[in-house]
Amino acid sequence: MRLDPSFIWTAFTLLLSAIPTTLMITAVAMGCGTMIGTSVALIRIYRVPVLHGLAAAYVTFIRGTPMLTHLLLIYFGLPYLIDGLAIQLGWSFRSVSIPMIGFAYISFSITAGAYLSEVIRSGLLAVNKGQLEAAYSIGMTTRQAMKRIVFPQAFAILLPSLSNSTINMLHGTTLAFTVSVVDINAKSQIIASSNWKFFEAYIAAAIIYWGLTILIERITAVIEKRINLYNRGGVA
Amino acid sequence: MIRLKQIQKSFGRHHVLKGIDVNVEKGQVVAILGPSGSGKTTLLRCINFLERPSDGEIEIDGITVQCKRPSKSDIHTLRKQSAMVFQQYNLFRHKTALENVMEGLVVVQKVPKEEARERSIALLKKVGLENKLDAYPSQLSGGQQQRVGIARALALNPKVILLDEPTSSLDPELVGEVLSVIRKIAKEGITMIIVTHEMAFAQDVASHIIFMDDGVIVEEGTPAQLFNFPKEERTRQFLKRYTPDGVYSI
Ligand SMILES: Nc1ncnc2c1ncn2[C@@H]1O[C@H](COP(=O)(O)OP(=O)(O)O)[C@@H](O)[C@H]1O
Ligand SMILES: [Mg+2]
Repeated sequence: MRLDPSFIWTAFTLLLSAIPTTLMITAVAMGCGTMIGTSVALIRIYRVPVLHGLAAAYVTFIRGTPMLTHLLLIYFGLPYLIDGLAIQLGWSFRSVSIPMIGFAYISFSITAGAYLSEVIRSGLLAVNKGQLEAAYSIGMTTRQAMKRIVFPQAFAILLPSLSNSTINMLHGTTLAFTVSVVDINAKSQIIASSNWKFFEAYIAAAIIYWGLTILIERITAVIEKRINLYNRGGVA
Repeated sequence: MIRLKQIQKSFGRHHVLKGIDVNVEKGQVVAILGPSGSGKTTLLRCINFLERPSDGEIEIDGITVQCKRPSKSDIHTLRKQSAMVFQQYNLFRHKTALENVMEGLVVVQKVPKEEARERSIALLKKVGLENKLDAYPSQLSGGQQQRVGIARALALNPKVILLDEPTSSLDPELVGEVLSVIRKIAKEGITMIIVTHEMAFAQDVASHIIFMDDGVIVEEGTPAQLFNFPKEERTRQFLKRYTPDGVYSI
């Protein structure tokens, strides 16, 4: 068997159509994951009764099990839950009408939420306590202080980890093929096996993942430069 | 105007404030002196509930809060009566000098942005920083940061400004510029409670001096009384340590 360089290009062009699927899963997982992660982080920092224990259990369970396992549990478990509820409550909705990608969205959001909660929690705790006190001292409510003072500073602190998590998630979305979602990776398998050119197809996929990763790093660098303006300058 | 009644504060088993009574009239500048660890910072932080007193009552200009079971809104209302200048400045790091001063006006007092901007610029001018409006805290010296901190406190037009050792994190050559700003606003009749180790400054600016030790007020009075004729042995000991030659003069 010989390498067919021109097929790398062919595969590359065929793979382009799968990029939106991969990006969409990454974006949804990171978006929902950030919301879940922020809530969980706040629940744990403020030690909200009852929820605090649940949140801790959620984080250790998700971080203690593989992302593929989450996907399989959701894929096989969620239909029971939904159909059970639907029958109880008399909905006409059934789990079969959930698109495959929906399982990826839900499961990866749950995965991301656990990891991001730790990232966000450490970011929030890294903001100097004096910042919150100063906000209170000028009469802000906790909500105002969080929104205007603590979160913006935490975001600047956790941006590098957030970028890392996004890249991890981008690469993790390759697992979606197990529930028949055709992302870049799945598409490269299809192209590979239908042309008997495996190496070429996977090289093309690798190039695309690499390119997207570099893109995420670039975007991070631009944001970092803008928000870290205030960290510049001489005297600390 | 400000009345603290029997303020108690414990951190776990550590009883830090053991029943503090303070009265401050409008326009008074009260200096709190005392050795390190005597509870000065804790007392100041109780006044705006950055520390929650275990017991007692706090009144600022008609707003009274029972410290034992304060509601969230009690605390919030009381906090809006005062402003604080911190030992470590605590300027909002991601905001410029101007934005730091505007923040409370816009967000808490809902003053329109343009008006808030003008008032803030005027205040920064007052503290001598009209050419640093757009500088971030990281670009300012300690003395400049603390002057922004004072402007931020003044902006709110609070009933009282609480200052916790405003110059003790500063390099010696920067202390003067901050003290002179405080002196200036004291002359304008703004009510202040200031914790300080600057004896000469306290003597000069304060109208009333409180000496604290070990969680109680040992002695209080006018600067003349306290510095020249301290009644208590503990006060004398303390002043001897902080005043050169043991010679006090007005
Ligand atoms: N958050 C805290 N937790 C436990 N102990 C504290 C806390 N804050 C202050 N203390 C203790 O309370 C005492 C008084 O502290 P402080 O009010 O800072 O004194 P001062 O300002 O007069 O130096 C000290 O013994 C200090 O260790
Ligand atoms: Mg102190």
